[in-house]
Amino acid sequence: MFEITISIISGALICGGLVFFLGAAVGLVRFPDFYTRMHSAGKGDTLSTIMILLGIALYQFHDLFREAHSLEEFFEHFKIELLVAIKVTAISVLIMLTSPTSTHALMEAGYDDGMEPFTCEDEDADENQNGKESAGQ
Amino acid sequence: MKGLALFAVAFTGALLLYATGDFPDWGSLDSPANGGELSTHYIKEVRKETEVPNIVTAVLADYRGFDTMFETVVVFVAGIAIIAVLRDFGNGSRGYPPALANNLPEEPDLIVTQTCNLVIPVLQIFALYVLAHGHHSPGGGFQGGVMLGASYILIALANGVEAAMKILSERKILLMAATGILIYSGTGLVCLLLGENFLDYHVLSRILPTDPIMARSHAMLFVETGVAFTVTAVMFSIYANLATRGTLKGGL
Amino acid sequence: MIPAFDIILLVFLVVTSVIALRVRDLLAASMVFGIYSFLICLLWAEMTAVDVAFTEAAVGAGVSTVIMVATVYQTARRSKD
Repeated sequence: MFEITISIISGALICGGLVFFLGAAVGLVRFPDFYTRMHSAGKGDTLSTIMILLGIALYQFHDLFREAHSLEEFFEHFKIELLVAIKVTAISVLIMLTSPTSTHALMEAGYDDGMEPFTCEDEDADENQNGKESAGQ
Repeated sequence: MKGLALFAVAFTGALLLYATGDFPDWGSLDSPANGGELSTHYIKEVRKETEVPNIVTAVLADYRGFDTMFETVVVFVAGIAIIAVLRDFGNGSRGYPPALANNLPEEPDLIVTQTCNLVIPVLQIFALYVLAHGHHSPGGGFQGGVMLGASYILIALANGVEAAMKILSERKILLMAATGILIYSGTGLVCLLLGENFLDYHVLSRILPTDPIMARSHAMLFVETGVAFTVTAVMFSIYANLATRGTLKGGL
Repeated sequence: MIPAFDIILLVFLVVTSVIALRVRDLLAASMVFGIYSFLICLLWAEMTAVDVAFTEAAVGAGVSTVIMVATVYQTARRSKD
């Protein structure tokens, strides 16, 4: 029972992370300008990586209640699994710190370099152009 | 000329592809890496002879110690060569053309600086862990040294090269790089002075308070520390010289 | 070793190496070199050569990409050929 519960929770976390990854990738391709693209990549990437790593950390405990001959053996297994889980959680904390910072640094570099954000006028112009093209056809 | 180059590349590539047919399969029992006398000895005896669980570290720092020593010397020479080629002592006396764009903001960015201040201590501790834990897990002098050098590069990226140069000045860089080689070859020389071959660590048990087997294990740590010193200094010096056109001022 | 994963990695390796050679923008080329190093690191980790993979991740994907970007910043961004 315990094993199934852990597997379901960690599987749900990993699948959720993959869904957010897909969203980030689609946003990276579909969004119109640099800033919105970075927004989608930064947010989606961070959240999905953290979710996947937490799912993996949780999955370390999936066969915690396997057959153990003594209490010492149980704690021996638990220690190893806990160590791996702590390491994976530490990676996710590091990503939580660094990924938004790198996104911010890229955004700032783009802003300093004079990247034009996508505005309402751009959208109107796009629509007009599309309308003209479809009218021409 | 381009056609000739393409022909040369295609010919060499075809030759290499032809040669891969003679390779043993991945993980095959007949391959020299699995069946040879030497590797069988390593796989079977390393634990008994040196008490090091990670065979790669034992082979790198003990059995093939001479090889690794000169690898470290190569890294050192590369660092010295970079300094010799790029270092610019005057103001533009080398006559390089000016940098492409220099629209960098004067102030370092607050968010980036703060995050780097948070991350760098963790990174340096992890680098030392990688260096010292190389006996038990993947890692060792080269990896730990590169990570330690990367932490200084991170300081230079966040706060500017000059801020990093205050922590690790050029004098310290050269001293560190040379000290690494000195530690490595000094360990070998002590073995020589104690009446054994160069880099034959087990004789160090006479001056270390351990038995010959653990002496080999500890001597590997000394040697890896030496490697880490050199690699740290050289990595940072390469970055600092390349990012500032050798002036070690301003720059990226 | 998982053959399907291996083949995907090798195909990506070929693709990234061709892109790194063909691209005119040297900044993009150095970024693609970083991806190439990271793929090689994955390949080695997948062949259980973890020590080599670690070195490649630290040196190839980490420091040398930074060094190449610094060099591109100080020289020309467009390749001549």
